[in-house]
Amino acid sequence: MGKRQLSDYVLIVMKNLNLVVILYVAGIMASSLRGYVLTGNAMDFLISASGLPASAWKIPVMVLLLYMVCLMIMHMQSQGGTFEIILKICVELVIGFAVSYILGFGYMGIILLILADMMKYFPGSRFRFPASVIICLFYLLLNSEYISVYFDVIPFDAYLTYYQADARSVMDGLLSAFDSLNTFLFLVYMIFLLRAQLSENERILNLNRQLNAANSELQKANIQLEEYAREEEQMVATRERNRLAREIHDTLGHALTGIITGAEACAALMDVAPEAAKQQMQAITEVARQGITDVRRSVKALRPDALEKYDLEDAIKQTIDEMRRVSNVEIEYYCNTQLNCFNGDEEEVIYRIVQESITNSIRHGEASRILVDIERKYGTLIVKIKDNGKGCKNIQKGFGLHHMEERLQLLQGQLTHNGDDGFTVEAQIPIRWGETEEK
Amino acid sequence: MIGVFCALLCAAVWIIESDAYRALMPEDSRKITVGVFSDSYWEVQNGYSYQIVNDAIEKFEKQNPGVHVEYVSGVLKEDYSEWLSEQLLSENAPDVFFVLGDDFSSFANAGALKDLTSLMEEDKDFDSSAFYSSALSAGQYEQKQYAMPFECAPKLMFVNRTILDAENIAMPDNDWTWEDFYKICSAVTRDTDGDGMTDQFGEVGYTWEEAFESNGVRLFSQDGSECFLTDPGVEQALQFMERLETLNAGYNVTEHEFDLGNVVFQPMSFSEFRAYQSYPLSVKKYSGFEWGCIPMPAGPDGENISTLDTLLVGINSETRHTQNAWEFVKILTMDPDIQSEIFDYSEGVSVMREVTESEQTLQSLIEDSGSEESLNLSILSEAVEKSIVSLRFPGYEEARERVEQAVRQIIDGSGNISTDQIIWNREINRFLEEQ
Repeated sequence: MGKRQLSDYVLIVMKNLNLVVILYVAGIMASSLRGYVLTGNAMDFLISASGLPASAWKIPVMVLLLYMVCLMIMHMQSQGGTFEIILKICVELVIGFAVSYILGFGYMGIILLILADMMKYFPGSRFRFPASVIICLFYLLLNSEYISVYFDVIPFDAYLTYYQADARSVMDGLLSAFDSLNTFLFLVYMIFLLRAQLSENERILNLNRQLNAANSELQKANIQLEEYAREEEQMVATRERNRLAREIHDTLGHALTGIITGAEACAALMDVAPEAAKQQMQAITEVARQGITDVRRSVKALRPDALEKYDLEDAIKQTIDEMRRVSNVEIEYYCNTQLNCFNGDEEEVIYRIVQESITNSIRHGEASRILVDIERKYGTLIVKIKDNGKGCKNIQKGFGLHHMEERLQLLQGQLTHNGDDGFTVEAQIPIRWGETEEK
Repeated sequence: MIGVFCALLCAAVWIIESDAYRALMPEDSRKITVGVFSDSYWEVQNGYSYQIVNDAIEKFEKQNPGVHVEYVSGVLKEDYSEWLSEQLLSENAPDVFFVLGDDFSSFANAGALKDLTSLMEEDKDFDSSAFYSSALSAGQYEQKQYAMPFECAPKLMFVNRTILDAENIAMPDNDWTWEDFYKICSAVTRDTDGDGMTDQFGEVGYTWEEAFESNGVRLFSQDGSECFLTDPGVEQALQFMERLETLNAGYNVTEHEFDLGNVVFQPMSFSEFRAYQSYPLSVKKYSGFEWGCIPMPAGPDGENISTLDTLLVGINSETRHTQNAWEFVKILTMDPDIQSEIFDYSEGVSVMREVTESEQTLQSLIEDSGSEESLNLSILSEAVEKSIVSLRFPGYEEARERVEQAVRQIIDGSGNISTDQIIWNREINRFLEEQ
């Protein structure tokens, strides 16, 4: 970008130089006209000029105004399309031509300035070449003699002849020096522009190379990603297996425990009280049926889209009811909050905790009394299951307790248990819905 | 925003360029200015310098109430071209201005004069046949009418009738030829007082130009790009000139000899003729002899014609009062009353055929001259009509000088005339090509 700015500086120098030269030429013309009138040679001028010039003061004024217009048009930022740019260049050319015309085609460097300015608009455009050829032809045509055939213009030399030979040669020399300087600046400008263009190409090549490197790295990453994906698949399968195991343990394990306990009781009662044993058998049948239902529900739940809502409160109540009937254990249930606003996964966890804890109390703690307490404290749901069983000093986390912990962690919950006085399990689950609405 | 500003600046340039801002000045709209010089076009002191212009202005202001005509007085004819050029250069030139015959092509070429062709065509009152066609064509440049003729004067041959009477030679006819001319000249060229020196001569001031014109030679092409010095008429004219000069036997006759009454013929503009025949000047100049004027002698291939000197009136090409200017030009050049004043207050001839041929003109001319014989009026109208307009183009003066030089050398030299003609023709053509 630095080189590009350098060419812009050259353009600024060119603009200033052109202003100086234009004023210089216009000044010579104006003072020559004044001189012709003052020295009484107006007739000679008219004859040699074979044309009527504008008043002396008008030439510098008009040229200056037109040049200002030209500069302003050059200054205008055009973000429009090719048509707009071509229109702009055409207007610039017309003004440049008008300036040259007023100056008797004595100085035409302004066309070079316009050409230089134009080059800026077409960086790499397909119009760049034809447009610059046209402007170059325009410039050559203006410089040649042809122009005087079509435009009746007073030649600059006619103005110069007013001055004495030595002054004339100085003026002429200065003008051609200016002209050469302008052409030189134009060349420098073009070289800078070309160099900027070349380094731009270099930069693009560089970027391309970087892009290729990045591309190949991306491909490698892609392959790795595919490997990850495969691993992930296996992990998902493992997790799914675990879940399956959990489900089997939760449903079948629970039901079978109930059936075994009931069957043992039945065996004891059979002789003593056949009637009660019959009732017990019915309760066992009920538990088995419930087990089947649970298995079916688990199978259903294993399919992700089959997760359906069911009423948690009712499910808990039913489970507790069943447990009471099957195992002759006194189970108290308290709940001070509504439970039907949880998501499926939360409901499942709550339900499983209650179910598992009761099962554990009966199976491992041999408890005769179980307290199930569900309460809400601020944003946390606390599920507490306490029994009067034998408790456990050294808790060896079985499958059930472990799974409870796992499930809770998924919900950012916490599980605490205490085996000192009976066995107490307490699960704390942050309530999601409690954050947005108060029920 | 920038675009609007640019457009405004462009409009400003246009206003400056076209002088449109001048229309804002209040006094400008009802005023036209006239460029006029103070003395006579014919270089005669007559004391009536602005008379005709003043009358024309009076008439114009009566016809166009509210329009005011102004002119700057005191510019002499010799300064007029320069003054006008200066006004043109500083864009202060009058709306209507007189154009000297010699300046016309320069001003027309410089674009200072408005092309009147469309004005003439659109104006129903305008009748170009009222003018002498030769006078009208004096205002034409490159087939366009850039100026209207105001007054003109043909070149005529002055004849010293006193000598002719003394020598018993009859006054030549109006259709006389070179042979008649030569015969008379050779008859009168002699030593009258017997001192051994020739003291009576045939002609003075008869130059190759008159000889070429009257022998049907048109020396330059219309646009001045070619010279026709090899024309056969040129050779005849040169031979005739050579014969005439040998009569004087090397004696250089001057105009003063004519004034003294020692020369029979001198070509002169009609204006000069009129100036010197009027009472005070004629006493001074030609008191010793009777004289008259006739057309130029015709060459073998030509007619009795000569050039017409014409004073023109043009309209400034930059004027903003074209219609008023045109009306004023019409009053100057086409109004019979104003045109007839030329015979009263100037020495030229009206460019209107109707005025020049009128009875009133005849009377005023006779009054002027005091005798009917000196001026053969019937020749005047014809001379004007048949006159040719001298060509003017850029570089004409130099080309003419080269022809002059060529003629001088061919006549003085001893070489073959036609070979010299070819050589000189080539050189002059080369010069013209460079122009």
